Formats: sequence, C-alpha cells, structure tokens
Amino acid sequence: MEKLATLWYGSGIYNLTLGQFVMIFICLGLLYLAIRKNFEPLLLVPIGFGGLLANIPEAGLALNAVENAIHLYDKPQVIQGLIEAFNLSINLDAGKEAVQEALGHFYHGEHITSAQHLLASQIVQDGGYSNGMLYNFYSVAIASGVAPLVIFIGVGAMTDFGPLLANPRTLFLGAAAQFGIFATLFGAILLSSMGLMDFSIQQAAAIGIIGGADGPTSIYVSSILAPELLGAIAVASYSYMALVPLIQPPIMRALTTEEERKIVMTQLRPVSKTEKIVFPLVLLILVALLLPDASPLLGAFCFGNLMRECGVVERLSDTAQNALINITTIFLGLSVGSKLMAEKFLAVETLGILALGMVAFGIGTAAGILMARALNKYTDMTINPLIGSAGVSAVPMAARVSNKLGLESNPHNFLLMHAMGPNVAGVIGSAVAAGVMIKYLG
Amino acid sequence: MTAAQLLGEGFTLLISGMGFVFVFLTLLVYATGFMSKLVMKYAKPDPVPSAAPQAKLTAAPTQDNQLMAVISAAIHRHRNKDK
Repeated sequence: MEKLATLWYGSGIYNLTLGQFVMIFICLGLLYLAIRKNFEPLLLVPIGFGGLLANIPEAGLALNAVENAIHLYDKPQVIQGLIEAFNLSINLDAGKEAVQEALGHFYHGEHITSAQHLLASQIVQDGGYSNGMLYNFYSVAIASGVAPLVIFIGVGAMTDFGPLLANPRTLFLGAAAQFGIFATLFGAILLSSMGLMDFSIQQAAAIGIIGGADGPTSIYVSSILAPELLGAIAVASYSYMALVPLIQPPIMRALTTEEERKIVMTQLRPVSKTEKIVFPLVLLILVALLLPDASPLLGAFCFGNLMRECGVVERLSDTAQNALINITTIFLGLSVGSKLMAEKFLAVETLGILALGMVAFGIGTAAGILMARALNKYTDMTINPLIGSAGVSAVPMAARVSNKLGLESNPHNFLLMHAMGPNVAGVIGSAVAAGVMIKYLG
Repeated sequence: MTAAQLLGEGFTLLISGMGFVFVFLTLLVYATGFMSKLVMKYAKPDPVPSAAPQAKLTAAPTQDNQLMAVISAAIHRHRNKDK
C-alpha cells in the first residue's frame, strides 16, 4: 500500500500545478499554430515542444541542479547542507513548504554571494542531483550567446546584398524602420512610469527589439539585458514574424495613395562580384570603427556573407546555410522553450510584451513607409513607398508582402528585388540598434 | 529610479539610439557608394554576367538535374554493355 502511495505522490497528475496545466495548453497552441497554420514552423515546433518538456511536473528539465534539489526535497542532508551554506536561520522542522520557500528566495535573491552559489552547486552535485536537459541546452546555446550568433553566420551566408548594393540609399528605409524599436522602448517605459506595468529600462529595451522583426537579434539582446523575459520575447518575436502578411498590409494601404502604389521602379543595375566581396568587409570596418558592441552580431553576419560571396569556400558556405543553421535552430528552439515555465511565463508582463511587440511592428512598418514617401518626394529617386515596410527585417516575408501589394495595384510591377534592399538593410539596422542598446544598458 | 528619471532615460535612449542608427547607416550609404565607384573604376569587369550568384536559395534542383543526367548516362552505358 505504501508503495502505491509513493507511486501516486511521484506521478505527474498528483504534482501538476494549475500554471503548468495552462502552460501545456499554451504550448499545444503554439504547436497547433506551427503545424496546422504554418506559423514559422522551423522555430515554433522546437519552442512549443521545449515548452511542453519544461512544464512536465517533477521532471525539472528546465531547472538547474540546485533548483531541482530544493524542489524535489527528498534528501534531508542536502537540504540541511544548503541551509548551512546560505546561513539561513530556518530549521528543517519548519516544514517542507517553508524551507523550500526560504531556500528558493535566497538562491534567486540579490544577497547570495558567488562563493555561496558555487558551494550550493557543489553540495547538490555531491547529493547526486544534476541540471535538467533543457537547462543545459539553455546555458550552452543562449546564455553563452552562441546560438543566435551562429544563426547570424547562416543568415549572412543566405543573404544577397546585390539589390542593396545596386541602390544603397534603400539603407535609409532600413534605418527608419528601426524607429519601431525605440518608440516601443519609450512606450514600455511610459507604461512603467504610469504604474501600469513594471519594466526596468533593460527590459524595455529587450521588448523594443521585437520591433526589429529579427528573431536571433531579439534573443541575443534579451539574453544579455533581460534573460527573465526571454521566453515571452522570443515567442512574440517569432509569432509576429509569421503574422507579417496580416499586420503590415492594412498599415501599408493606409499610408500610401493608389498612385504611389503604382509607381514602377527602374531596373536595378548589375552588381559585380568584387563589390559583393568587398561589401561585408566595408560593413565590418565601419562597425569596428563606430560601434564595437554590435560586432558580435554584425561580425558573424559579415563572416557568413563573405563565405557566400568569395566563391572559394562553397562547402563552408553550404554548411552555414543548411546543416549548421538547422542544428542550431533545434537547440535554440528547445532552449527558448525552457523559458516557457509556468511561474516565469504566466504574468501580466507577458501580455504587456505581446501587446508592445505588436505596436513595435506597426510603428516600424509605418516609419519605413513614411521614409520611403519622403525619399520619393524630396529626392531625385523614384521609390515606390511600398518597399519601405520591408525595412523591418523579417527576411524575406516583408519583401514578399511589398511585392504582393505592388502587384495588386499594378499587375506588371514586380517590387520583390527592390524590396530586398531595404529588407537586408533592416537586418543591419536592427543589429546596429541592438548594439546601441547593449552599449547603453549592458 | 524615479518615474521622471526613468522617462528621461527612455527619451534620451530614443533620440540618441535612433540618431546613431541613422548616422551609421548614412555613413554606410556613402562608404558603399564610394566602394562601388572604386571597384567599378579599377577592378576588371566580371568574366561572366552576374546572373549566377543570384537565387542561391534554390540551388538544389540544378544539382539534382546534373546528378540525374549522370546517373541515367551511367545506367544507359551499363545496360548497353551487357548486350
């Protein structure tokens, strides 16, 4: 009979909390969107599944060894050791909940010293506890900053700068669209100062980056500035990228006239191979001179692009575009999923992040379009304002949306290649914005 | 940090961040234009018109076609050998 009771107390049903139950449904929802609705499936499938794993009761896959030891609470000598290591005045007789609460509070609090941290890990390791699988993935892939940067190498290897080089002034559109990032940052701060939400300036910056519509950049920035919000930020960022074809067109129609949408742009000039090879080096030199804080992101990006364009390392470029980026995506997705734990994700802040992320997207799109209109009006360049919205990165989805709207107004107007210029400029722009944030707040 | 301070900080970041992004990309526009001019002036023109480097994303089908051609040639030769 006692054996049966042990089995029951160790079962998932007995230990399932309401929060975990809700999170499992949310993760199933993400999987549904990815599989049936084709929402960024390459990322939402690993993220959703990682979230499911992270919320399995008692398995502690997303917890580190110390958290697991405190949560499982099955070895009194380990718990006693932790209490002593933390110099807490609580006694084991105080009961399981009270001790767990006290230990957890101290372990995650600000007063813990690095020596105590180290000691705690040693105690639980000797007690036979280990880090959860997802926790390990997270430390290797995201906490170290590696996965987003490796993905950036792959993105660089997939990017063709030809359209941008043929018409460098489209870089202005990529710059304008970053206004979404900074406006949202300010919006988040405004909400906090009015007492509606409680975001620090670092958190506000990490949320704003959602408006850059660039998954790896958002993850990289929030892993540095606000790791506690990473789950919500990554989910918002990738969901909105999938929603680009729904979010952007109404804004684009509202801000342009039918006449402007019909504008046909001149054929792009051919770009020589040498220019394409030299461009990543020029970009890198400029980053090195002006904003070294953006060099991890843009360095990885330029490296990938150089491998693609130089033409002598086909094999490496091919690996970066396919095998490498795919492997990294799997681990990145699962690691992001590990941040979808109930106690961290189910908060009012998450709703705030989702709402602000949407606003960031909208403002970025609008700023890009308005910039394109201004360029069209006040310079000698003929620009169809529709390509301005492609300045939020979301490569190549945003460029396709510009193309589609252009075709609706004029069936012979193919804007795709023209929109690719601002589109890749947006990637550079959001990486620069990320560098600025890290410089100021990191 | 008080609410007013926080707001001030946010506003500074909004202006200076956006300003920096613009300055950086403006410089990039000029640097790129300058680089393109230099390259066009001094470098030898491409031996092949630049149709090849585009549309790298769909490189797989052409390779498959080549592969298919080689395989079918090999099968053909193999079958003819036994006759």
